[in-house]
Amino acid sequence: MSNIIRVANLVKIFRVSNRQPGWFGLVRNLISAEYREVRAVDGINFNLERGELVGYLGPNGAGKSTTLKILTGLLVPTSGEVQVDGYIPWKNRSAYVSRVGAVFGQRTTLWWDLPVIDSFDLLQPMYRIPPQRFRQNLKEFTEILELGPFLNTPVRSLSLGQRMRADLVAALMHDPPLLFLDEPTIGLDVVAKERIRQFIQYIHQKQSTTIILTTHDLSDVEKLCERVIILDLGKVLYDGSLSQLTARFEGNRTMVVTFAEDYRDINLPGVPLPQRQGERVVYTFDPRQISSSELVEQLLGRYRVADLELHRPEIGETIRRIYEEKLLHLK
Amino acid sequence: MLRLLLIYIKLLSIQIRSQMQYRVSFLLEVISTALLNGMYFASLALVLERFGQIAGWKLGEIAFLAGMAETSFATMDMLFSGFDPDGFSPMVRLGRFDQILLRPINITLQVFGSRFIIRRLGRILEGVTILVISFALTDIQWTIGKMLYLPVVFISQVIAMGSLFVVGGTLIFWTVQPIEAVNIVTYGGTELMTYPMNIYPGWIQRFFTYVIPFVFMNFYPALYFLNKPDPLNFPSFAPFLSPFAALSMLLLAMVFWRFGINHYQSTGS
Repeated sequence: MSNIIRVANLVKIFRVSNRQPGWFGLVRNLISAEYREVRAVDGINFNLERGELVGYLGPNGAGKSTTLKILTGLLVPTSGEVQVDGYIPWKNRSAYVSRVGAVFGQRTTLWWDLPVIDSFDLLQPMYRIPPQRFRQNLKEFTEILELGPFLNTPVRSLSLGQRMRADLVAALMHDPPLLFLDEPTIGLDVVAKERIRQFIQYIHQKQSTTIILTTHDLSDVEKLCERVIILDLGKVLYDGSLSQLTARFEGNRTMVVTFAEDYRDINLPGVPLPQRQGERVVYTFDPRQISSSELVEQLLGRYRVADLELHRPEIGETIRRIYEEKLLHLK
Repeated sequence: MLRLLLIYIKLLSIQIRSQMQYRVSFLLEVISTALLNGMYFASLALVLERFGQIAGWKLGEIAFLAGMAETSFATMDMLFSGFDPDGFSPMVRLGRFDQILLRPINITLQVFGSRFIIRRLGRILEGVTILVISFALTDIQWTIGKMLYLPVVFISQVIAMGSLFVVGGTLIFWTVQPIEAVNIVTYGGTELMTYPMNIYPGWIQRFFTYVIPFVFMNFYPALYFLNKPDPLNFPSFAPFLSPFAALSMLLLAMVFWRFGINHYQSTGS
């Protein structure tokens, strides 16, 4: 196994001053500074193999961005070990960052006042990208993400979606083996989100880039990630495959049935009482007690059925339940 | 090294291009800065005309002080504006400094290249004009030594003033907002250089000698160029301390800057 990322016992404690607002607070703070410790990352462990694409999830303040900042070398952790691609990110910064691409959704890494193409041009000497490779990447990425129409527009006048696409391209121009994406789809509309997802997938498959993705939008995760790491309060709650997670914690499914005839008795053994909604009947069932196929078999065996619809709870729903009902308890 | 220089030039040239986009407004701004700052000196000249001299310094001699300080400050403001606390503060606040940390290039070089304001050319032009006027009004006995030392003094002044910008910019890592006190020292100190040091009260002289050695940047070199006696009774090599004082300031500023970056990486403010 070749782990490209190894994170062991990672801890980051921030000292936040409890300063009162205003001049009085400033003076008081000078005399006796009061600090509160915030354990943003509290003993995180995980490994990533080369070429994995992992969703890094958690509610606000769970420690996602802090971890990502440490992994990109922007922050020095309080304690713990991190090795990425043979480097310790915050040491030997300039050699390390040329192996890394990063997009922090809220902030652009492009030059604010420059046209997009000028920003790209600057990357070429900075990362020592061979000119031919540079042209090839530029052409390919520009085509896929359709940057053409705004290549000559200053970054400050781009829409959020355009800027995000340009940022992604900038992060990948030097063919980094590692890509860190912090909320790459935040604030985008459905079409723009989809375009970015497809591009991430394309890069991941074509270059087998190792990717860590944090997001609030669970459809990103559902479409892109096989493996997820779920955080809360600076600790890892779950690290494993998305399908196992849903198998364990998925809530009740519903089967919506339209019968061809009007049946009086629509109760099925082992299934909670259904609800009639006009023409349709809704069975709510726990997939761990009766599988969807068993239910369908029973239905078809007893009744003449005109239509069947199966609804699984959305992945967002499942994850929300994990947090709210504390399904994965912290040890 | 050559690659770094090329990247620096590229960063500057891109900014020049974007600032030159509106040529008329650019030219107007250059001219108006030149005129505005020039008017300031012109009014001083009128006063001096009336009173003849300040502390034994005639108009042409004051013009030498003013011309040097203006030219150096404007040049410094152009080259070091990446560190200017007023511009560096939003850079840190909006996370654009993170962008710099993510690039595989020397951090200091990137900050140098992050902002380059060419309309400062107007003020450089104004400074040089005042300096030329001073050459016309005084009869400096030009020797080879003086001719070689003048550019050294100029560069030293740029470095000394730039070091203050670096210190002010570094403080942003702790304060996020720019601190007015630092600006007072930078801008006030430069303003102070425009006049002979011996007109100021003792504590100001001592501050700009031992804390921030600005007295060796302009006043003492001027004594040497203008063949004037030293009213403050320093050793006779005092006029030649300017490059050493400037380099020490830069060194200290850079040590503080590194310390500031390390602080930033451990707090991520």
